[in-house]
Amino acid sequence: MRLLKLISWQYVRKHLLRTMLTMAGIVLGVAVFVGMHTANQSVLSAFNKTVDRIAGATQLQITAGESGFDEEVLERVQSNPNVRVAVPVIEAVVNLNLKTQSNILVLAVDMTGDRSLREYDLEDGDETVIEDPLVFIAQPDSLMVTREFASANGLAINSKITLSAMDGPRTFTVRGIMKSSGLTSAFGGNLAIMDIYAAQKVFGRNRKFDRIDLAAAEGVSVPELQKQLAATLGPGFEVESPSARGKQFESLSSVYGMLANITSLFALFIGMFIIYNSFAIAVTQRRSEIGIVRALGATRGQIQALFLTESAVLGLVGASAGLLFGLGIARAISASLGNFLGEIYGVAQRADEVSSDPRLLLGALVMGVVTSVIAAWIPARSAASIDPVLALQKGRYQQLSKGENRVRRQMAAVLFVIVFFCLFFAQDRVIFYSGYFLTVIAGLLLVPTLALWLSKAIRPLMKGMRPVEGTLAADSLIQSPRRTSGAVSALALSIALVISLGGMARASYDSINEWMRIALNPDMFLTPTQNVTDRSFRFPASFAETIKQIPGVRLTQVVRNARVLFQGNPVMFVAIDIASLRRESYLPAIQGDSESMYRLAAAGKGFIVSDNFAELYKVKYNEPLQLNTPTGPLSLPVVGIVRDYSDQKGSVLIDRNVYMKYWNDDTINIVRVYLDANTTVAEMRARIEERVAGSTRLFILTNQDLKAYIIKITDQWFGLTYIQLAVAVLVAILGIINTLTVSITDRRRELGVLQAVGALRGQVRRTIWLEAIAIGVVGLLIGLLFGAVALYYSLEMSARDIAGLRLDYTYPWNMAVGLVPVIICAALFAALGPAEQAVRGGLVEALEYE
Amino acid sequence: MISLSSVSKRFDGKRQVIALDAVNLQIEKGEMVSLVGPSGSGKSTLLNLIGGLDRPSEGDIRIDGTLLGGVSDDELTRIRRDKIGFIFQFFNLLPTLTCLENVSLPLHLRGWPATRINERARELLALVKLEKRLDHLPEELSGGERQRVAIARALSVYPPILLADEPTGNLDSHTGEEILALIRELHERLKATVLIVTHDRGVAEACPRQIALKDGHIVMDKKG
Ligand SMILES: Nc1ncnc2c1ncn2[C@@H]1O[C@H](COP(=O)(O)OP(=O)(O)OP(=O)(O)O)[C@@H](O)[C@H]1O
Ligand SMILES: [Mg+2]
Repeated sequence: MRLLKLISWQYVRKHLLRTMLTMAGIVLGVAVFVGMHTANQSVLSAFNKTVDRIAGATQLQITAGESGFDEEVLERVQSNPNVRVAVPVIEAVVNLNLKTQSNILVLAVDMTGDRSLREYDLEDGDETVIEDPLVFIAQPDSLMVTREFASANGLAINSKITLSAMDGPRTFTVRGIMKSSGLTSAFGGNLAIMDIYAAQKVFGRNRKFDRIDLAAAEGVSVPELQKQLAATLGPGFEVESPSARGKQFESLSSVYGMLANITSLFALFIGMFIIYNSFAIAVTQRRSEIGIVRALGATRGQIQALFLTESAVLGLVGASAGLLFGLGIARAISASLGNFLGEIYGVAQRADEVSSDPRLLLGALVMGVVTSVIAAWIPARSAASIDPVLALQKGRYQQLSKGENRVRRQMAAVLFVIVFFCLFFAQDRVIFYSGYFLTVIAGLLLVPTLALWLSKAIRPLMKGMRPVEGTLAADSLIQSPRRTSGAVSALALSIALVISLGGMARASYDSINEWMRIALNPDMFLTPTQNVTDRSFRFPASFAETIKQIPGVRLTQVVRNARVLFQGNPVMFVAIDIASLRRESYLPAIQGDSESMYRLAAAGKGFIVSDNFAELYKVKYNEPLQLNTPTGPLSLPVVGIVRDYSDQKGSVLIDRNVYMKYWNDDTINIVRVYLDANTTVAEMRARIEERVAGSTRLFILTNQDLKAYIIKITDQWFGLTYIQLAVAVLVAILGIINTLTVSITDRRRELGVLQAVGALRGQVRRTIWLEAIAIGVVGLLIGLLFGAVALYYSLEMSARDIAGLRLDYTYPWNMAVGLVPVIICAALFAALGPAEQAVRGGLVEALEYE
Repeated sequence: MISLSSVSKRFDGKRQVIALDAVNLQIEKGEMVSLVGPSGSGKSTLLNLIGGLDRPSEGDIRIDGTLLGGVSDDELTRIRRDKIGFIFQFFNLLPTLTCLENVSLPLHLRGWPATRINERARELLALVKLEKRLDHLPEELSGGERQRVAIARALSVYPPILLADEPTGNLDSHTGEEILALIRELHERLKATVLIVTHDRGVAEACPRQIALKDGHIVMDKKG
């Protein structure tokens, strides 16, 4: 420890800037990890909190996916003697178009029984409402809101709120304002209570409920009751404790968590190279110091321990900084994550406070320290191997890296052979990921060699451009592969990441566009909700008939899509008239025969599944799919697999008749409208509005509107992944700055000589700039190469474990070309500071510098 | 050619050091001058000031009539590049460049066309008798050869002034004599003004004019 203070602290103090740059990778990696996971957890815990608060004294909840179930089920449950109380619930998130424009969670309940599960503590309102719930029910236009919501939106008792409902505009009256209590803090306080029978009409739910909340009778064991109810209701129903609902939500946001892990892993990985680089350089520079300490009696073990302790401290400081930073950005991320989940999955959730898990934070700290120590391992070993006699001799450095490159090449070759074999057995998950991992390692082992070759190759080029500056810059790279290869590796890794993500993005957009061209070809789409992913309002079955009769409409198709539990996961079901779909939007089968696929599915004899569904749930063509519906089990074969992007977690297409029969649900989410050849969209919009104006809640989307909306969501999704790019490139730039800072210290004398023999400051600057550009170009080239491999693995990964989408491999050339100026500019930017530092400082000292 | 009027140089460190104290010095065109004195007497400091590597704390320095004070750093570099050749004790060759490239360096910096640079550099390396070592790297040369490359580099633009800080200090006495002979020869052929800092009595006495420094003062200035 004393050694540490004596030796390391001095060095750190002298190279403060560099030390900080060295930590940057750790800081960013940990920050992203903590930030994204904390955000994810916050949203999740907000969700759980909402569930928990709303549950009140509820012990079990009965659901049947999104489709809901008939009122008759309630009676069956209530007739069970072990049930003390069972009440129906409908839940929906709506925008009331009030002052704050924030979404509000509408909890629709039957006030008579509900008070035995939930406490509605009114601070203000009609005394009768408080005393007698029947008054509330007797006036179906009653609404209760929370104190927070009322204050924020300027509402008071008897304020009127107009809501565009499925049966036309309805005016609600605020009859009660709830005191702040457990219930009211659900959904961030944006909560409204409505009568459930009114809600059925408002949301177009027919005579159906979303859920039954219940409590067991005195002395009845809850797990027993759960089993009993599950048995009586059949497998189409879920009987769970309220807290189990968090699991489903979790499964939806899991992709996001995975993304967070990948991003932070990459940042840490890149950060590791920067640390490795810094330590390798420090060992070379502190050679004589180490020699002296060794000569004075320090053992090899002590030297190694010294460097490892140094790296651990560095890691700890970096990770702590990252932690604070991460918590700082978590709030912003959680806000956008809440919206994002809402848009993609139709599960709106808001997190108003950031909740951080101490285990997560501790894990992040450990991760930072471990990364740092691993990175310093090899340099620490070479420090320990320094020979005190050699180190104290003046003159050339002891060659610490002799023959390293050859060994590395050999190791890489061996790894590539293993990787090659891994590809043959890639069906196995472990082998596949090991293959990926080994590829990365092999690639990294090759970086120094590749970097050297490339530097040699571009030397004549750079010499041609700028005889002096170009040559010196290239030589600087060639001479100290140790100094450069860390930065090049970091850059190459981040470029590879950019390419693989870019390639994935491009492939996704290409496929989505192709899908939209075929599947989304109606001229207009009518929905009762503000966006197509929200399904809280529904049209009645008759609505399609009304539209069909409007002159100019050639054809309508009705769509009911709902998340249905399949193997415990919410999966998107799309119920539509398959025969009509075949005529209008012929998506070819990628597995199975298209003709028989449509024929069988239209006849109600099979499911058509999307390729990502098949991939994620390991479902095969022609195999039966077993499904539990509210009316009993349904087992049909998979008659074909198509490329369908209706949902990120996979979708299942079934004929509308089958759905209506088994789910007993004839409501509609979307009406697809095809027009006559001589009717324009604008004319039709006017006609539709005229026909249904005021009688129903309706949003009209044109073909372009919907496509633009889907592209917007896709953009949002990739927008999240672009954070990864930004982080990667940022870390890589820091790596270049770090290397250059070291380079100019190392070459101080050389730069001094250059000035002494007549180089102007501009020329010295240019040397540094060119060195940076050379690092940039070399890293870029290697990265573009690695990217080609990384893209393959990313596509595989996304197909296997993330989205289940199989996308075609196309190298994103335009992106590769676009990266050239970006990286050159970034490299130049990185060089600005070091270049200034190089021309400052006294010449005389530089010439005497050793 | 070189003129110093009451030039002082102070280093403000923990303790102030007066390396040069109001030095007045006049060196005419074509002179060959040696500068001697005990270690720390300010010889290198004087040379660095004349060469424009450093700036004086007080006083004026003129090179070929141009006042060095008051010009920008880049201007100073240009003056140095056109008028002054440097030879260092530790050669200060760039290790990654070949002999030819090292010698070409100042010419490239002045933006000469490639063919002319090549011609001149070969000519100079021939002059220092290294025509057979064009493509060698510095580490492949002996100390004397390295110093000859450094001299060729210093002369590459045919500067009117040649400054050498202990050019023989790092060489054995025989090689030292050779280098000195070379400098003399070049001095005579190119009519360059030469200023050599040296600890070697022989080298000093070989010069027509000898100056001695002590504690930042000129204590002797003798011609012939
Ligand atoms: N950068 C500096 N900072 C502080 N003091 C300096 C610096 N450079 C030189 N000195 C001091 O200035 C004085 C003159 O130094 P200079 O290098 O000119 O001596 P010298 O005559 O060349 O000696 P030597 O024969 O040993 O080379 C010395 O006392 C030295 O310590
Ligand atoms: Mg000296």
